[in-house]
Amino acid sequence: MDLNFTPEEEKFRKEVRDFFIQEEKIVAEANKEWDSGLGYGPNCWKILKKIGSKGWLCPTWPKEYGGLELSYMYRFIMMEEMQYFLNIYSTVGAGMAGPVIMKHGSEEQKKEFLIPIARGEIEFALGYTEPQAGSDLAALAIKAEDKGDYFLMNGSKIFNTRAHYAQYHWLGARTAVTKPKYKGISLFVVDLKTPGITIRPIWTVGATRTNEVFYDNVQVPKKALVGEVNRGFYYILEALDYERISTVTGLQRDFQEIVEYVKRIGKGRDPIIRQKLANLAIEINSAKLFALRVAWMLNKRQVPNYEAAMLKMLVSETEQRLVNTAMQIFGPYGQIQEGSSWAQLNGKFERIYRDSLESLITRGTSEIMRNVIAGRGLGLPRG
Amino acid sequence: MDFDLTETQNILLNSAKSFLAKEAKDLFREVEKTDEGYSKEIWQKMAELGWLGVVFPEEYGGIEGSFLDLVLILEEMGKVLFPGPFIPAVISGLAILDHGTGSQKDDLLPKLIEGKLLLSPAHIKPNPAIAEMKLEDEVGVEDGNFLLSGTRLFVPFGHVTDMFIYGADMEKGTTLFLVDAKNSGVTSVALDSIGADKPCEVKLEGVKVQESDILGTIEKGDEIVSKMEERGALAESAFMLGMLEQVLKLSVEYAKEREQFERKIGSFQAIQHHCTNMATDVDQVKFLTYEAAWKLSQNLPAKKEISMAKAWASDASRRVSLLGVKIHGGTGVSEEHDMQLYFRRAKACEVAFGDGDFHREIVAQELGL
Repeated sequence: MDLNFTPEEEKFRKEVRDFFIQEEKIVAEANKEWDSGLGYGPNCWKILKKIGSKGWLCPTWPKEYGGLELSYMYRFIMMEEMQYFLNIYSTVGAGMAGPVIMKHGSEEQKKEFLIPIARGEIEFALGYTEPQAGSDLAALAIKAEDKGDYFLMNGSKIFNTRAHYAQYHWLGARTAVTKPKYKGISLFVVDLKTPGITIRPIWTVGATRTNEVFYDNVQVPKKALVGEVNRGFYYILEALDYERISTVTGLQRDFQEIVEYVKRIGKGRDPIIRQKLANLAIEINSAKLFALRVAWMLNKRQVPNYEAAMLKMLVSETEQRLVNTAMQIFGPYGQIQEGSSWAQLNGKFERIYRDSLESLITRGTSEIMRNVIAGRGLGLPRG
Repeated sequence: MDFDLTETQNILLNSAKSFLAKEAKDLFREVEKTDEGYSKEIWQKMAELGWLGVVFPEEYGGIEGSFLDLVLILEEMGKVLFPGPFIPAVISGLAILDHGTGSQKDDLLPKLIEGKLLLSPAHIKPNPAIAEMKLEDEVGVEDGNFLLSGTRLFVPFGHVTDMFIYGADMEKGTTLFLVDAKNSGVTSVALDSIGADKPCEVKLEGVKVQESDILGTIEKGDEIVSKMEERGALAESAFMLGMLEQVLKLSVEYAKEREQFERKIGSFQAIQHHCTNMATDVDQVKFLTYEAAWKLSQNLPAKKEISMAKAWASDASRRVSLLGVKIHGGTGVSEEHDMQLYFRRAKACEVAFGDGDFHREIVAQELGL
């Protein structure tokens, strides 16, 4: 057992950190944009392109597609540092769409998308969820009819968060009515500017914009199909396999902020606060160890199944306890929003208290994660 | 980054698994009602495998392994609730290794490692507010000898121990004395307890010891004690990890077998989610314990990590064993099923070497609070 990173990995981490410190100004602006709830603004794009130009968005990819041909551990380190400095810690293109295109896409798709993904020039919005297809994703119904020269698409999606600034929709659509349902789904890369697509905002409790996306007789070219027809559900699951990591550096940063706050206002001797903060420290540390385990498995090219589900569940639930503890420490001041002189830590935790709820849902709810752990990890029978 | 065990560790682990499966599968139940509370014969066999000497130098008969190696063995012991004063023996031995005189080490360590000498720390004083009678606690000096009187509690297997590391309160701090249990004036009584792991009340009445019996420096014993407690906390966490892994295993197996409403109960989400919560707790205990042990093995400071492990293990032991009982239903509370053994022992382990609150306070200090 060795819980150290190699000297080369540490050197890489330092290089990444130095970069973010050097780009402090753009980073601060990008974070402001991101925290506004609107997603990528101009500075987000600027910093992503700078990261991409170094090959760091997709360090594991082949050089011909803009990568550095490094081991998975470098991607993990990159994500840790990105999450620490920047609130965006990966793009959908680098984490999910890119790897699927690389494995199953046509030559044309690879040429068109991979290098721009690696360079941070484009982004994808996940187009999975529909009103009747949330945790039960295979129930998705948006229709893609093969019309010979093109697919004709009709239907709607919901909670497609990046759709208002991403260039492409990573769309799961129904190409056949089958039993079981998942066998009639295909995956497409759709240009979100295609006529007939309407995007309507939905605002979350965390004041983050997400979207409904409507397809009204949209003609999507045949070349937009990824891989084989009716194999989309497998690709969707595979894409989840590629993006199984969660990092805790953001939690560590926020935790430290609370510890410093407690010291500053002289509450550090309160035994209840000491107990709560210590418990959080332990929980965050255990989540860190879960993350290292998953990163190590991915580095060995193993597929972490229940381990990744456990990590995702623990990180998102630990975040809840972190923001809750912060709010309890603030007492009635915790409810005051950014802008008032009575707001604590600029109202940051008032906002995260709302915005962190999304982590419990996205990429599979905690309850779905538990089902995965029960089935794949413990071998319990299906209900 | 590497979570794999070394080849040597795997060999050690496999030998531990096969020894315990053969010799100790139902041992806890067999010895629970006996006066000794452990089996001398199996203790001897275990010593022959070198387990008591894992972390000791070769010159004393040890095998110079790491604390992580020890943790792996303790984890396996926990799975079968291996009875006996293993943890107290090892932490006492390490205190002697670190602070003993040459002759103390030469005299005691080989015997300890061979399984011929049982050693136990005796430094927990009764809470005077709880004690019914007035407690005499004195260190007298007579002709250059010391006369010790006092009561110490929760001395593990004190009733069969050969020697105590007795903590005596003196003017400027604790002095640790190596006290022969056969000394007249020493009485040990095993207290019946929830975990049946023989915590004892040890009473000294005018026991005469010499300066050569002091472990470490006079009135400087507190540091040695806290080091013993620290190692004990980590060792206990490893033992608890094994216990909890076994509780999870028993519960999942039961959920796959047991049918109600014409279905395996393991197909119900309520049961599934209980099991996943248990599995998550178990993995948390596992990696926190491994991280602390790995740090110790690398000679890195590990105070915070040890307390993290023991704090989480202490609370997880209660949560996991309670869920285990719930999943087993009526079976879980029946005497003849093993589940109740783990449930009871979990409480004993929770309070040994500091409970969750105690160790969270240490973590808070380490956070600079």
